[in-house]
Amino acid sequence: MLETKKLCKTFGGLVALDNLDLAIEAGRITAIIGPNGAGKTTLFNLVAGVYPVSKGEILFRGTPLNNMATHKRTAMGIARTFQNVLLFGNMTALENVMTGQHVRSQYGFFEAALRLPKAHREEETVSLKATKYLNLVGLGMYAQQNALDLPLGQQKLLTIARALATEPHFLMLDEPGAGLNTLEKRALGDLVRRIRDMGISVLLVEHDMDLVMGLAERVVVLDSGQKIAEGTAAEIQRNQRVIAAYLGEEEEVE
Amino acid sequence: MFVRMQSKAGYLIAAALIVLLLLIPFDWFLVRYTTLMIFIGINTMVTVGLCLLMGYTGQVSLGQAAFFGMGAYFSAILSKSYDVNPWLAMLIGAIATGAFAYVIGYPIFRLRGNYLAMATLGLGIIMYILFRQLSQYTGGPDGMAGIPYLCIGGFDFDTKFRRYFLVWFFCLAILLVSQNIVRSRAGRALRAIHGSEAAADSLGINVAQFKVKIFVLSAVYASLAGSLFVHHLRFVSPQPFDFIASVMIVVMAVIGGLASIWGAIFGAATVRILSDELLLQFGSWDVIIYGLILMLVMIFMPQGLFVGLKEAYERLRLKYTQRGAEP
Repeated sequence: MLETKKLCKTFGGLVALDNLDLAIEAGRITAIIGPNGAGKTTLFNLVAGVYPVSKGEILFRGTPLNNMATHKRTAMGIARTFQNVLLFGNMTALENVMTGQHVRSQYGFFEAALRLPKAHREEETVSLKATKYLNLVGLGMYAQQNALDLPLGQQKLLTIARALATEPHFLMLDEPGAGLNTLEKRALGDLVRRIRDMGISVLLVEHDMDLVMGLAERVVVLDSGQKIAEGTAAEIQRNQRVIAAYLGEEEEVE
Repeated sequence: MFVRMQSKAGYLIAAALIVLLLLIPFDWFLVRYTTLMIFIGINTMVTVGLCLLMGYTGQVSLGQAAFFGMGAYFSAILSKSYDVNPWLAMLIGAIATGAFAYVIGYPIFRLRGNYLAMATLGLGIIMYILFRQLSQYTGGPDGMAGIPYLCIGGFDFDTKFRRYFLVWFFCLAILLVSQNIVRSRAGRALRAIHGSEAAADSLGINVAQFKVKIFVLSAVYASLAGSLFVHHLRFVSPQPFDFIASVMIVVMAVIGGLASIWGAIFGAATVRILSDELLLQFGSWDVIIYGLILMLVMIFMPQGLFVGLKEAYERLRLKYTQRGAEP
């Protein structure tokens, strides 16, 4: 699904990602973990196209992404959520999700201005699909509420619905569990599994180890921009390098 | 918001407006206020464009008068000096102004916030200087007179009364078109850009392109308004397109309510009625009272008159129905 080859990203003198080789398989839930500053969000931003790659290559279903504009990547089937939510506060929950359907509809200013049949037809499909995704994350009853009036947990679900509305093959979730309570986290886990069952590959960055270990079928561990381990949740939990990266070396502790 | 727009209050305001528009010219109003109404219509056209750009998309423009002036001068020069049919001149003006906005749009919208404001401000000032200095075409600071009236078949728009309907036909058409756009896929994209550019980008919205498109649309609106303006006055000079004019357009948009299409009428009407009618009797104090009124509106109705009055109406109605329900 997604492959990176010797991917590097530097910000001035700071090396955020250092020769990262990664292969993310289709149809799975993959988690990226690592201490703060390990380069997790940088990786997301490079895949999404927020900033350019310094060196190396990103391939999505075999197509190189390096010089592709962000909005075209979305059309290809890459979707994401943000750590800091970034909902549209000037819209209702439903309109937020409808905006996600942007790349799956075509009609423009002209058809809209004159309310041509094409606009009407597409608008109907868009609102139908948006309602479907809103129901999928369990927010159907809040359709007409302003997005920012919802509590944080529901806002996070709303961003997932909005991302799903782009009808992706590959969904990146940036700390979906942050700020959620135990119950909400369990519901989130179920939702992510359902998304996987829809045939969408999921890549998530998450700090909550219980959530990650219970959810991810594959875990990649980054530290200082490098991959230090990869495997199933059980393998990662036993990996000495990972434990060292998270808790520090024994010598340092003393 | 659009759900609320379709509420009872919204309908009432729209109905009141239409009644007002239809009845006004048949009475004593005709003599005194038709000119005022024509100017309100023309200003509304420009203001709606800025509402789309500023209120919905979140992009400031302090140079809308430049496009207003371009439409005016294209119509004036083509129809007077080159004997082009006024309607064709109007169309050429709109297309040329739109094309100009398109060309400068891409570089200008690489800027954000204050820098964008500065760049558009510069645009307005440059165009104003061009209107003054290209005197072999524009007539310079003295302007040019004798611009023909618009006419359809044998029907000349040679009375104020007729032009009043012409202007408001265009104005309402523009309001309707804008309303349709706001409620569409493109409208959501614009509001998404306002809400969060990063998020809009991640949903596959071509942010740069949408900013330029709405900039072009606002320029075309302003250009059409400029054409109607000169065919009404039959005279054009640079003064109505100076920096102050651009600021007044912003004031109208803000007073009416940036994020409401129909608010543009309220904004344009308030500013024009205040400066053309109500404040005249205060002599040189008018500017101070004017400023005070604008401040009060902003303090008590920060979302503009349209939303402010609607909310006031709903509060009153709620109060009334509650009192009625009491035993």
